[in-house]
Amino acid sequence: MEPLDRDLEEGLLELPSEPMMLNMGPSHPAMHGTVRIVLELSGEQILKADVQIGYLHRGFEKMCERGTWSQVFPYVDRCNYVSPMLNNVGYALAVEKMLGVTVPERCQYYRVVLGELARICDHMICSGAMCMELGAFTPFLYYARARENIWDIFEEETGARVTHSFGRVGGMANPPSKYFKDMVRAAVPRVLALVAEGEKMLLKNRIFLDRLEGVGVMKKEDALALGWTGIVLRACGVPYDVRKAHPYMVYDRMDFDVPVGTTGDNYDRFMCRQEEIRQAARIIEQALAQMPDDGPINVEDARIVMPPKNEVYTTIEATIQHFKIVMEGIKVPAGECYSYTEAGNGELGFYLVSDGSGTPFRVRIRPPCFATTQGLEQLIKGAMIPDVVPTFGSLNMIGGECDH
Amino acid sequence: MNLVELVLTVGKIAIVLGFFLNLAALGVWADRRQGAMVQDRVGPNRAVVHLPNMLARLIVLLPPALFGVLSIFLALGNVTPRLAHERALVNVQLTVLVTWLSLLVLCVTVQRGGAINKLEEMFEDIDPRSIFFGGLGLHALGLVAMRFVTLDGAPAAARITGFVLGGVFLLVGLYATSRVPEGSIPLRLAGTLHALADTIKMIFKEDFVPKNADRLLHSLAPMIAIFPAIVVTAVLPFGNDLCFADNGDKVFGFADLGNLVNAVPASGACAGWRVPLQIADLNVGILYIFAMSSTGIIGAAIAGWASDNKFSLLGGLRACSQMVSYEVAMGLALVGLFLVYDSVRLGDMAVWQGQNAWGVFVQPAGFLLFLTALCAETKRVPFDQPEGESEIVAGYFLEYSGFKWGMFMVGEYLEMCFASALLVALFFGGYSLPFIHPDGLRIAFGDAILYEYKMTHLAVTVISVLGFFGKVVLVTWFQVFFRWTLPRFRYDQLMKLGWTKLLPLAIANMMLTAVVVLAARSAGPAVASWLKILADLSQALIAVLTLAGFVALVVGLLEPVERKKFLASSAARFAAAMGGVKAEPRQA
Repeated sequence: MEPLDRDLEEGLLELPSEPMMLNMGPSHPAMHGTVRIVLELSGEQILKADVQIGYLHRGFEKMCERGTWSQVFPYVDRCNYVSPMLNNVGYALAVEKMLGVTVPERCQYYRVVLGELARICDHMICSGAMCMELGAFTPFLYYARARENIWDIFEEETGARVTHSFGRVGGMANPPSKYFKDMVRAAVPRVLALVAEGEKMLLKNRIFLDRLEGVGVMKKEDALALGWTGIVLRACGVPYDVRKAHPYMVYDRMDFDVPVGTTGDNYDRFMCRQEEIRQAARIIEQALAQMPDDGPINVEDARIVMPPKNEVYTTIEATIQHFKIVMEGIKVPAGECYSYTEAGNGELGFYLVSDGSGTPFRVRIRPPCFATTQGLEQLIKGAMIPDVVPTFGSLNMIGGECDH
Repeated sequence: MNLVELVLTVGKIAIVLGFFLNLAALGVWADRRQGAMVQDRVGPNRAVVHLPNMLARLIVLLPPALFGVLSIFLALGNVTPRLAHERALVNVQLTVLVTWLSLLVLCVTVQRGGAINKLEEMFEDIDPRSIFFGGLGLHALGLVAMRFVTLDGAPAAARITGFVLGGVFLLVGLYATSRVPEGSIPLRLAGTLHALADTIKMIFKEDFVPKNADRLLHSLAPMIAIFPAIVVTAVLPFGNDLCFADNGDKVFGFADLGNLVNAVPASGACAGWRVPLQIADLNVGILYIFAMSSTGIIGAAIAGWASDNKFSLLGGLRACSQMVSYEVAMGLALVGLFLVYDSVRLGDMAVWQGQNAWGVFVQPAGFLLFLTALCAETKRVPFDQPEGESEIVAGYFLEYSGFKWGMFMVGEYLEMCFASALLVALFFGGYSLPFIHPDGLRIAFGDAILYEYKMTHLAVTVISVLGFFGKVVLVTWFQVFFRWTLPRFRYDQLMKLGWTKLLPLAIANMMLTAVVVLAARSAGPAVASWLKILADLSQALIAVLTLAGFVALVVGLLEPVERKKFLASSAARFAAAMGGVKAEPRQA
C-alpha cells in the first residue's frame, strides 16, 4: 500500500481558517467608559483592532456654547472626572488669558496645590485600576484608600468629593480653609506611604512585571506623530511636560523632575506615573512653603469676579454686579486663544473663541486622552487578548475626554 | 462485596462527601468574607433563619443536657481501676474546660449586653483573659491532683468527678437556656448560611440558554465538570484502617462490627477484618485521580463550545490547554514521590509518612512543583485565565446562570478542597500525625525511646480522622488566602512556565530522586538508621511547629484588640477637632 500522504503538498494539509471577530466592549469589564474594540483574532493573537470611542457622547463642546463663560466649569469637571481640579484650572487659565488678567499669587499657589493633589489621585487610580484588572485587587484598595485622604481635603475645601466645579474665572470659588496647609501636610506623607506599600506588592512580583515589560511598546516618533502628550509620551522618552516646557502659574518657581521612560512600554508608563506622584508631592511641599497665608484669592475686578454674598444682599452695587455676571456673563473681549496646561493625562488645551458677548462662541477642547486612544490600535496589534488589559489600563483612557 | 461492606462504603461516602461539600461551602464563605475584608465592608451575613424561641432554647439545652446525663450514666457503671483512673482524669479536665469556657462566654455576654442579676454583675469588670488564665491554672492543678489519686481510690474518684461533670453540664445548659432572649431568635452563624441561601436562590433562578447554543451539550457540560471533582474523593484515605476481630464464622458480617479490636501492634497489622477508611482502596491509587481529574477539562471545553459565545470559546480553549499542559508537570512532579514511597496507593503513602517523614521533607522540590501545577489545575489566581474576568469576562461559564452556573462553582470549590486533601495525603502526612503510631504515642529518635503511651485502636483512629480533616481545613484556608493579591499570568507566559520550567524541573527532580533513592537503599544499615533519625527529627519539627503555632494563636487571641483606624479622620471630623473652619466670608 502506498503511503497516504505521498501526493499531498504541505500547504494543503493546513485546515482553512479565518480570523475570528470579537467585540470587546462597549460593555466589558476592562473597557473603562464605554469603548468598543473590535478585534480580529487568530487564536488569542490580535491581527487587527478597531477602537471605537463614540459610545459616550454628550455633545460637551456644544453644551459649553449655550451658557455663560462661568457655566462651563461643571462641564469641564466631567471631562476627566478623575482629576476635575486640573480641568477647572485649565479652563480658568484659558479665559483669564483672553481677559488678560492674572490671579493673585496666593490663588496661583492654591491652584497648584489642589491641582497636584488631583494629579496624585489621577495617577493612583490609573495604576490601581490597571492592577485590579490584572487580578491584583489589594493594591487597588491601597490606592483607593490613599485617594480617600486626598478627597477628604477636597471635600473640606470645595464641598464636593468628585466633581468640584471649584474653579472660577479670576480666582477660586472659596479661599483656602483655615487648616488647608495642615491638612495637606498631614495627608501627603500618608498617601506616599500607601503608594509605596502598594508598589512594593507589585514591583517584586514576577507575574506583574512579566505582564507589563515589553508589552504595548510605542516608539518615540510614533508617539509624537499621534499627538501623544503627558505620561504616555514621557514614557516613550520625550521629556515634554507643559509645566517645564511652558511654565504657567508658579510652576517655574518649583523644583521638580520630569520622569522619562526609555522603551515606552506599559512598565515605563506605570513607573513614570509612580514617580510623578512623588514629584507632585515635592511640588506640593514647596508650594505650601511659598504660599502666603493672607492676601486676596480673586482678582480685584468687579466685571469678572462675583461680589461677596453678604454684600449682594445689602448693597445695590453688588446686587447689580451679581445680576450682570449671572445673567449676561463675563464680557470676554472678542478674539481667540489657545491655552494649555498639564492635566493628569497630558496636555489639556482649550481653544476658545469669543465674540465679545458673555457667552463663548466656540469652546474647543484638546483632551489628552483623545490623542492617546488613537494609539491603542497600534499598541495592541500583534499582542494577545490579555495584553489589551494592561495596555488599555496604562493609557488611562478617560471616557469623558474622548467625547468628540 | 457483601452487604456489610456495602453499608460501610455508603457510610464512608456520606462522611467524605458531606465533609467536602460543606468545606466547599465554607470555602465560598471564607473567600467572600476575605473579599469583604479587603474591601472594608461587611461580608455575606444577610442570610438569616428566624428560629422559634422554643426551638432555640431546645438547641441550647439539648447538647449539654445529653452530655450531662451521659456523664452521670457513665459514672454509675463499674470499671477497672486503671480505666477509672483515666476516666477521672478526663472528667476533671472536661469539668475545668466546660467551666471556664462557659464563664468566658457568660463574661463576654454580660459585658456586651449587660447583666440581668446580681451574679452576673460580678462579671462586669472582669477581664475575660483572667478567666482563661484561671482555667489554664485549674487544668494544670487537675493534672497534678490526679497524681495523688491511687488506683484503689480511682473508682470513687471517677464516680464523683463524673457526677460533678454531669452537674456542671446540666447547670450550664439550664442557665444558658434561661439566657435565651424572648421572641424568635435570628440565626446567622456568622454568615455561613449565605452559601445555603445562594444555593436555594440558584435552584430557582431562570436557567438561561443562549438562542443558538447547543442545548444538550450546554446542559451536559456542568455535569461533566462537577463529576470528576466528586469521584476523585473515592481514593482518599481519611483515617487509620479499622480492624475488627472475627466472631468465629470466618465471614465478615454485621456481627463483626461490634468486635473492634482493643489495640493493634505498632506495625498496624490486623488479624481479623480490615476496613480501610477510604471509599475505594484501588491498586492504581493516585493514577485514578489523574485519570478522573483530567476529564474535568471536557466539561470546560464543552461549556465553552456549546455556549455560542466567543468569550466562552476562548475560555474553553484556555481551560483545555492549561489543564492539559499542567497535567503533565503535575504527574511528573509526583514520580519522585512514588519512588520514595514505593507505592502509588494513597493508603500506603500515609503509612509510610507516618513511619518515616512527611512528603514535604523528602520531596521539597516535588512539593513546590506539584503545588504550582495544582493551582493551575484548580484554575485559581494567578492561574485563572480560563475565567479571567477582565479579559474574557467570565470565560467558559459566561453563558450559564442558575443552577448550572452553581454546579460549575461548586465543582470549582470542591476541586479546591480536594486539591488541599491531595496535598495533605501526598505531602503532609495524610492522616498520620507526628509520633502517633497505630499502638499509641511514641516519641522516639532512632532506637532511643523518650516517651511512650499506649492508646486503644479506636482512640488512634479517631485522632487520625480528626487529624486528616483538620489538616485539609487548614490547607484549604491557605488556598483561599492566596487570592486577592496576585495578578494573573498571560496565557502564553503560563504555557511557557508549564512546559519550559515546570516540566524540565519535574524531570530533573525525578532523576535526582531515583539516584538518591537507589543510593540510600543500597547504602547499608548505618545510613538507614541515620535516615530514620533524620525522619524522626522532621516529625519532631512538625510537632514543635504545630505547638508553637497553637501557642501563637492563643497569644494572638489574648492580645488586646486595637482597631487601627486607617484614616486619621475624615475632613469633617478633622475640621471639628480643629474647632471648625470656613469662618471667613465667602465669595458666592
